[in-house]
Amino acid sequence: METGFILGAGGLFCLLVTVMIGWALAAYNRLVRRRNQVQASWAQIDVQLKRRYDLVPNLVETVKGYAAHERGTLEAVLAARSGAIAATAAPGVPARAGAEHALTQTLGRLLALAEAYPDLKANQNFAVLQGELARTEDKIAYARQFYNSAVQTYNTTTQSVPSNLIAGLGGFRPMDYFEALDGERATVQVRS
Amino acid sequence: MDPRLLLDLAVSAVALAAWFAAYGLVRVLTRPASPTPAPATMELGTEPPAVVSLLVSRWSVTEDAAESTLLDLAARGFVELRQPDDDPMRTTLHLPPTPPDDSGLRPYERRVLDRVRGLAVDGMVPLTALTFRDRAQAKTWNRRLRAQVVADARAAGLSRRRFGPTVTSLLTAAAVVVAVAIGIVVWHYSIWHQAEENLAIEAGTATFAALTAIAGLSPGERDTPLGRQVAARWLGVRDWLRGHEQFDELPPASVAIWDRYLSYGAAVGATRLTSTVLDLGMGDRRLLWSSYGGTWHRVRVRYPRFSARYGQTLPKLLLRAAISIAVGGFLLKVFGAAFDLVPTSADQAERAFAFVADGIVVVGLVLLVSGGHTLVRGVTDLVTERTVTGEVLWLEVWRTTGQGEDRPARPWLHYLAVDDGTGDRTTAWGLPSRWAGDCQDGDLVTIRVRPWTRRVVAFSVVGHGRSRRLVEPIGTDQTSNPVVERGGRAGSPQAGRRAAGLFTVDEVGQALGLPVRPAERLDLPGPLTAVQFRAAGDGRPVLAVATLSGVAAQWVWRLNSRGQELPGIGDEAYASGERAVLRVRDSIVLVRVLGDARDRTARLPWLLAQGTARLPAARDGG
Repeated sequence: METGFILGAGGLFCLLVTVMIGWALAAYNRLVRRRNQVQASWAQIDVQLKRRYDLVPNLVETVKGYAAHERGTLEAVLAARSGAIAATAAPGVPARAGAEHALTQTLGRLLALAEAYPDLKANQNFAVLQGELARTEDKIAYARQFYNSAVQTYNTTTQSVPSNLIAGLGGFRPMDYFEALDGERATVQVRS
Repeated sequence: MDPRLLLDLAVSAVALAAWFAAYGLVRVLTRPASPTPAPATMELGTEPPAVVSLLVSRWSVTEDAAESTLLDLAARGFVELRQPDDDPMRTTLHLPPTPPDDSGLRPYERRVLDRVRGLAVDGMVPLTALTFRDRAQAKTWNRRLRAQVVADARAAGLSRRRFGPTVTSLLTAAAVVVAVAIGIVVWHYSIWHQAEENLAIEAGTATFAALTAIAGLSPGERDTPLGRQVAARWLGVRDWLRGHEQFDELPPASVAIWDRYLSYGAAVGATRLTSTVLDLGMGDRRLLWSSYGGTWHRVRVRYPRFSARYGQTLPKLLLRAAISIAVGGFLLKVFGAAFDLVPTSADQAERAFAFVADGIVVVGLVLLVSGGHTLVRGVTDLVTERTVTGEVLWLEVWRTTGQGEDRPARPWLHYLAVDDGTGDRTTAWGLPSRWAGDCQDGDLVTIRVRPWTRRVVAFSVVGHGRSRRLVEPIGTDQTSNPVVERGGRAGSPQAGRRAAGLFTVDEVGQALGLPVRPAERLDLPGPLTAVQFRAAGDGRPVLAVATLSGVAAQWVWRLNSRGQELPGIGDEAYASGERAVLRVRDSIVLVRVLGDARDRTARLPWLLAQGTARLPAARDGG
């Protein structure tokens, strides 16, 4: 009788332990999958941002041909670009977001120059670059949405009970959102 | 077994088996490819979502095609989706006051947009009210949408017919060989069996017909090299979207934020919640949308099934009551004397008889009470008749006559769900089937009803619903080819084309519910041009169509523009009894139902709507 009870209790304990281990593995794998999704989403943002870095010098050169005396604006754009490229090496998303925001702001001022220079506005090359930049901005906006969506899902998992236990043990820390600043929000084609 | 018979059977079996093996092999060899997904990416391509749905579903069009097209129209500003609260099922579709130019829409995009526009009341329609209420219409609409999507994919070089002309020709040639083999076998059998008739030719012909029919059945679409390449890219997009688990839970209204990503998500099956809410198939008949009274609201409808009183006529009900009373009275009279709840007899048989008699008496009592109840309620039903006016929500066959060997089942009673605006719940009425063809969902009807039996005793259509404009001819797709004018003497050829080209044979047949012959021109004096359609069966005239323009048209219009106004058809349109009239600028069209088809006027407005689209072209031609 006593032996049977011990065997039964032991079996139940083993079953419980097996279930716990299975759940822990599943939770860990889910966290890994979500973290990878965040990283993949970040990579997409990175691709679009780099495309924007590549466009900027061409755009500055084109504008310089028609508005060379707007040196202040042109230099600000190039400086912001350099700052954004330098921020790629900096740790943390907020620093990167700040640098990108500065670049967006200066680019906005640069494109506004075209209104004062009809010849520049009529330039075919400028129009192509402007269109390409607008498309890239759109893609950045959507990539940021995807990134933030992935971060939200990941953060929810790392902070929810009981998966937060596994997250704590596995070193899964909450990640930062790529915050849209006021100037950038305007570029997203959202209809309310 | 006779070895000759064995030989005949073996040859037949081998021939047929060889053909089916070849057919099976062809099916295996031409099955659509399963491209390996490209790396997950968020880069969208230029293909429309419906075509993307075809590509990622292994070259088959699913319901995702229509749903993703609707979302894409929302992303592009043709419609707007609004969700008033947390429930995505309460999402509404709104038509913007200044929509973008829709001239570049693809045929299936226009099809979806037209459905939204056709159903909208004051520019709004609930998302879940887009479902169909007629199974045949739903099937036709979706089949044509699929055909349009496939045509678009083929035009872009992304898809092709699974059995090309070469394969079909080879299968047909093989069918000839098999048919000849079967014919020879039957000929051989008839010879040695000394049969009176030799059916070799018939057997061969039947075999050939059956096999070519199988070979001719459309097995669907298959991939092309370009299609595989594009599909691989879209499968990468699908992986990207599926990787974002939040995407699965996005409601349809989130298209405002996710733009075309949501429509492509629906196309690749990455939006579970959105796809659950969106439905362009058959709706739930128990929970229907009604716009009666000017605002959209949902009505729960109950469909009685089991009670014998529902839908019955008064004579039948009274007859049943009389029989019930008579039988009950008879049983009570015969067995009433033997009624004994506590039999005291010592004899076993007497006690058993007493129990049986008690049971029969109880049955008699039940019959008597039930008959009396039916009688009283039936008579009360007669005096409590009332008139109901409301919108038809659902129409469906309820009861049919028994099916015999040479007698098909015929419906005699339909369910008719009507929203009279008095509540959010109703029970369907029993509509005699002779009236069922006169109305369709969305129509405004006035019915005289008996509330207890739920039977409709008088019926009239007082207004036609918006959904009539969306009705499409069921059957072949030949309706896009207007009827070719036939010879005649009156009027110029161009003038003749005006009337003859307005309606196709299919459309007229669909409107009148009977097959008709091609249009014949009528000899008429002056500026009037007219054609008539005759019934295909007995050749009697069933519909006359006249067109007129200029000053004479103004006079004819004044005489005929009366009756029920038909909003949304041409500049103005009216229906009155057997005739309906339509005006587009200075031209009018007058249609009149003739002869045996006089009671088939319910779909005249729909017929006029079909002609409206062609009237300018026909007039230009004249």
